[in-house]
Amino acid sequence: MEVNGQLVLTVLMGLFLIAVAAWLARVENWRSYTPLAGAGAVGSTEQYVSEEKPSGVIRWLTTVDHKDIGILYGAYGLIAFVVGGLMVVVMRLELADPASTLISNTFYNSLLTSHGITMLFLFGTPIIAAFSNYFIPLLIGADDMAFPRINAIAFWLLPPAALLIWAGFFPIPDVIPAQTAWTMYTPLSAGVGSGNQMNAGVDLMLLGLHLSGVSATMGAINFIATIFTERNEKVSWANLDIFSWTILTQSGLILFAFPLLGSAILMLLLDRNFDTMFFAVEGGAILWQHLFWFFGHPEVYILVLPPMGLVSLILPRFAGRRLFGFKFVVYSTLAIGVLSFGVWAHHMFATGMDPRLRASFMAVSMAIAIPSAVKTFNWITTMWNGKIRLTTPMLFCIGFVSNFIIGGVTGVFLASIPVDLVLHDTYYVVGHFHYIVMGAIAFAGFAGLYYWFPIYTGRMYQTTLGKWHFWLSMVGTNLTFFVMVLLGYGGMPRRYATYLPEFATLHQIATVGALILFVAQVIFVWNFVQSWLEGPKVEDGDPWDLADDDLVTSEWHWFDRKLQTAIADGGEEEAELATDGGERIDDSQSTSDVSSDGGDPVAETDATSDE
Amino acid sequence: MDEAPGLSDQYRTASPWPVFVALGIPISEIGLLFDLFPLAVGGLLLFTGSIAGLLRESGYVESTMRSLVVLSAILFAFGGALVFTDVNLVTRGYAVIVAGALLLVGGVVFELFVFEQRQSI
Ligand code: HEM
Ligand SMILES: [Cu+2]
Repeated sequence: MEVNGQLVLTVLMGLFLIAVAAWLARVENWRSYTPLAGAGAVGSTEQYVSEEKPSGVIRWLTTVDHKDIGILYGAYGLIAFVVGGLMVVVMRLELADPASTLISNTFYNSLLTSHGITMLFLFGTPIIAAFSNYFIPLLIGADDMAFPRINAIAFWLLPPAALLIWAGFFPIPDVIPAQTAWTMYTPLSAGVGSGNQMNAGVDLMLLGLHLSGVSATMGAINFIATIFTERNEKVSWANLDIFSWTILTQSGLILFAFPLLGSAILMLLLDRNFDTMFFAVEGGAILWQHLFWFFGHPEVYILVLPPMGLVSLILPRFAGRRLFGFKFVVYSTLAIGVLSFGVWAHHMFATGMDPRLRASFMAVSMAIAIPSAVKTFNWITTMWNGKIRLTTPMLFCIGFVSNFIIGGVTGVFLASIPVDLVLHDTYYVVGHFHYIVMGAIAFAGFAGLYYWFPIYTGRMYQTTLGKWHFWLSMVGTNLTFFVMVLLGYGGMPRRYATYLPEFATLHQIATVGALILFVAQVIFVWNFVQSWLEGPKVEDGDPWDLADDDLVTSEWHWFDRKLQTAIADGGEEEAELATDGGERIDDSQSTSDVSSDGGDPVAETDATSDE
Repeated sequence: MDEAPGLSDQYRTASPWPVFVALGIPISEIGLLFDLFPLAVGGLLLFTGSIAGLLRESGYVESTMRSLVVLSAILFAFGGALVFTDVNLVTRGYAVIVAGALLLVGGVVFELFVFEQRQSI
């Protein structure tokens, strides 16, 4: 039996490898292969790539173009958002009444764990990477990322990561989903005791998480290298845009935080499978918490800094003015980046740690609120007396500011030890961080998706549906999470499928809020997909009329040139167009949509040789 | 962004290798963690083979053979450490060593046949 299994695996693996090799032999024309360094004549060396991208699925599987990879990240992030969202809808329905009626308590715990990990690691980080991949090279005037292939590897690590993280939900015999919560506290997550967390499902989840960390680290290295070395000579540190600044800082945080998480996860895996004792001995549980939160708190800023950058970039465009106090927004970003490594133990105030240490962590946690507030004031001042245009992206930006204030203020209260000792592990904490992760981070994501919709789809979304999406999201978010703050004051502990009847009303309101959020996202998905496929084509290179206030940024210039060169993908591609942009050579790599819809490789190769 | 210096004007917008590098990592991790010999070997081959392909493609190395030899040496060292030291994870170690050996064989075959053909063009 055992041997048979191995045999089957061997045959399958062998077949798979042969298939891969055969496919590679077809795609990769070995014999005509000249490495870049030695290539003389452009166009004759690279058989299948220099002319145009391969078509269909193969194009997406093999692309190393930063814009394609950005779109892949975006699609991935949104799919994860749907999965994580559906999980939480089931949880909220279960919480509509005090008893455990709809699903079992263990299944609730599984959903809770997966929802958190999915939203943070499979939606949050990737959706940010979607924007940064697509737009950073355009904003800083680079041809592409510094390491395009590493960029592709970083993305392709994510689908296997998702499959591993969700593996417990698949009908695999003997594998159950992890129920450790996203914090994976030992000894529970070490599989100790009489529980069922020794299951392979937990190992798979840990592997998946590890993989997503590897991916994030590769991406971070790439962004640091890109922003440092690939800038156009006109882009100096002094006029680097705010989004690039936040991505640079975020990448620095990732570089220090994620490898630590990776190591801690490996240690946990060793504990689980190879009888090591990292977290099993006296003090092991606290050791895990320190390691986890040393990663975990920077992680929350890894997730929030780039959305702050997006808002700092987009909000001024619709306020008709430049960002107020640009320099201070950059400084506060850097300050948050540094300080975020000094606050982790505020997640551990209730563990009985040394009170003197605790006080110092409290002080730094309070201090980190200052740069956050600096940003908030700058956004508000930017809007003050501005020429505000309430477009959908602007609405989401304003929603961001509003929700971030509530999320931040509740955070400051939690940072105070005596308050935290009362509110720790209650719904108050859940309310606090959801104001930030949903109310702010997701909102900024939506702002970006709407703002740049014309660029990456060439079309316009339906504005009315966009506004419905915003208002329902805003109402839903505040209903759901404000009620959670109240539940927390009432003493409702977090992470339970059941509760005392006295909490029923508030929980039901939260469920209604969640359903409103659900409806809002259905509208969003419909609008997004439908407009992408059928929306009106954008013919103006400046659809937001940014030029009126002299607020155009370079990605719109790029978009404008692209429209000029390609005459919107209207089907009538003309060979001569490639020349009128003069220097538009990089379009041969980048106007993917143009070449994919029938494509005239001739024009594109011409363009390549005109420099 | 317009005056593309250096490599960029012939920079490739597609590469078949990244997907397989990315697939090789989880497959070999699962194989090694759960002690599934074929997965460990196959995953490592996929991973290291794709790395070699990638290095070659980007022009970081001249000879595929040499990168395969280096990669298999790394696998031998890692596998050896698993088998012969106190770590004592024998089957997993052998899986790594077998992967290293197969990689070496693959490198030689590649060098003899494919590379020959390429030269003759
Ligand atoms: C800016 C983005 C922020 C994000 C994304 C965020 C996220 C989170 C998350 C996910 C938790 C839950 C940890 C758990 O599982 O127990 C949390 C808890 C906490 N947050 Fe925030 N937070 C942010 C801002 C702040 C700020 C500005 C402060 C204080 C100045 C703060 C203070 C706290 C504290 C003290 C806790 C621990 C609560 C407890 O478990 O007792 N957070 N935050
Ligand atoms: Cu924190």
